[in-house]
Amino acid sequence: MREVGIVGVGHTKFGKSEVSFLEMLTQAALEAMDDAGAKTGKNNVIDQVFVASMGAGMLNRISGSASALVDTLNIRPAMAECIENGPASGASAIKLGYMAIASGMCDCVLVVGGEMMRVVSGWEATDFVATMLHPTGEYPYGLTLPSFAGLFTRLRFEKYGETSEDLARISVKNHANAMHNPCAHIQRKVKLERISDPRYVDATSPMVADPLRQFDMCPVSDGAAAVLLVAKDKQEELGFGHKTFARIAGIASATDTHYVADRADPTELLAVRTAAEKAYKMAGMGPEDIDCAELHDAFLILELAESEECGLFPKGEAHLAVRRGETEIGGKIPINTSGGLKAKGHPLGATGVSQVVELVRQVRGEAEGRQVEGAKTGLAVNFGGFGNNVVATIITTK
Amino acid sequence: MQEMFAYRCDKCGKLHHPRYAVCQNPDCDGRSFTEEPLSGHCKLLTWTRVFNLPEGYMKAWLNFGIVQFDNGVTATGQIGFDERPEIGMDLVSTVGVVKEGVGKDYYGFIFQKP
Repeated sequence: MREVGIVGVGHTKFGKSEVSFLEMLTQAALEAMDDAGAKTGKNNVIDQVFVASMGAGMLNRISGSASALVDTLNIRPAMAECIENGPASGASAIKLGYMAIASGMCDCVLVVGGEMMRVVSGWEATDFVATMLHPTGEYPYGLTLPSFAGLFTRLRFEKYGETSEDLARISVKNHANAMHNPCAHIQRKVKLERISDPRYVDATSPMVADPLRQFDMCPVSDGAAAVLLVAKDKQEELGFGHKTFARIAGIASATDTHYVADRADPTELLAVRTAAEKAYKMAGMGPEDIDCAELHDAFLILELAESEECGLFPKGEAHLAVRRGETEIGGKIPINTSGGLKAKGHPLGATGVSQVVELVRQVRGEAEGRQVEGAKTGLAVNFGGFGNNVVATIITTK
Repeated sequence: MQEMFAYRCDKCGKLHHPRYAVCQNPDCDGRSFTEEPLSGHCKLLTWTRVFNLPEGYMKAWLNFGIVQFDNGVTATGQIGFDERPEIGMDLVSTVGVVKEGVGKDYYGFIFQKP
């Protein structure tokens, strides 16, 4: 199979967008193309564009955005398709880009993920995200993604002895990391006692889905991110020879039951484990090879659970590693150096692409202020539904 | 009166809830099912109290839980009392309106204390 890697990255500032959905995609795409040195018009070499979004049709009344993007970028007649896989849309689109190049069908693919959610009220956004739940067994009950995170957290607390203070520690870490990421939605330092001390916590971090509080979950964000993929055997010929080739060493996805209650052990995230195992196998690597990880911490309990399912820590021990500071920059295995979904933000379709952008910056040594020293290999986990469709990606310069 | 059902595979006998197109037993490929009432005693496996309810709920918060029925089937539903539940507590399932829709109400599990 051909080697596929990333030679260009782009990322808008996450938060509240002042421009339209399509303009947001365009900004990220152009930044990635400029980063790689990709040309437009008659000099265009991009064969295919994938646009990842969960809800542009529902929230922004735009369909066919990949076709529109190709047109405004003047890279016709590149092929163009939109990809939807819930909050894992971004990594799914990268996977499809990988497949398109590895198969020989394409040499160069632009992947852009984006979401514009802050055009609706909080309860409308919550409802929109909840549409990915089981259509008869979950969604009609008023269940939401925070609901499932609450149900899951309570079980994990009971089983492994994790506490709300452990989650608050992760919140503090991810907010601190986001202070060094100019694209992060929330750039605000958080003090542990302000979001965990019983004297303040109801005011500073109100309960959302007991036992989860506001600071235990991500904000609603707008944003876009882009990566330019190229075949290793065409990198020089297509004009990208001067760029570091951040190789996609492994990329895989897996599914689990749609109806969460049907899982044999509801504290396990089987799709995360399976996707990670497949990605490690494809890369010929293991958890010991990972220098940094971007994990899908839409709810902070997921950072703990995913880090265990990916083999970074033994089952039930990730919170102990957090207490020891092992997931901080400078620790044994830094997690969510970008600020994670928690602080960087979570524009659904953009998230999987954004995670890979961060890994590319890390392995290139360009993550200013948050650089993991000597980082050569990174792992991303992009989590769809409540863990029923997960993509794991390994990026390396080794 | 509204009723909730489990679906027994006609080929291997495995019980399901909710309905699937194909039996979920990895060793079976059954596609026909017989409905059986799913009600009565159950145990609470986990619960949450949610304060940011989606569109259509005129309440400040709701309790939700996952339960296991005596026949082994697990299900998600609303919890119909205000006190803080406890993992492992005994409950009984009732059926009621879980969401008021425009022109159509949605019925589902509401778990109560015995």
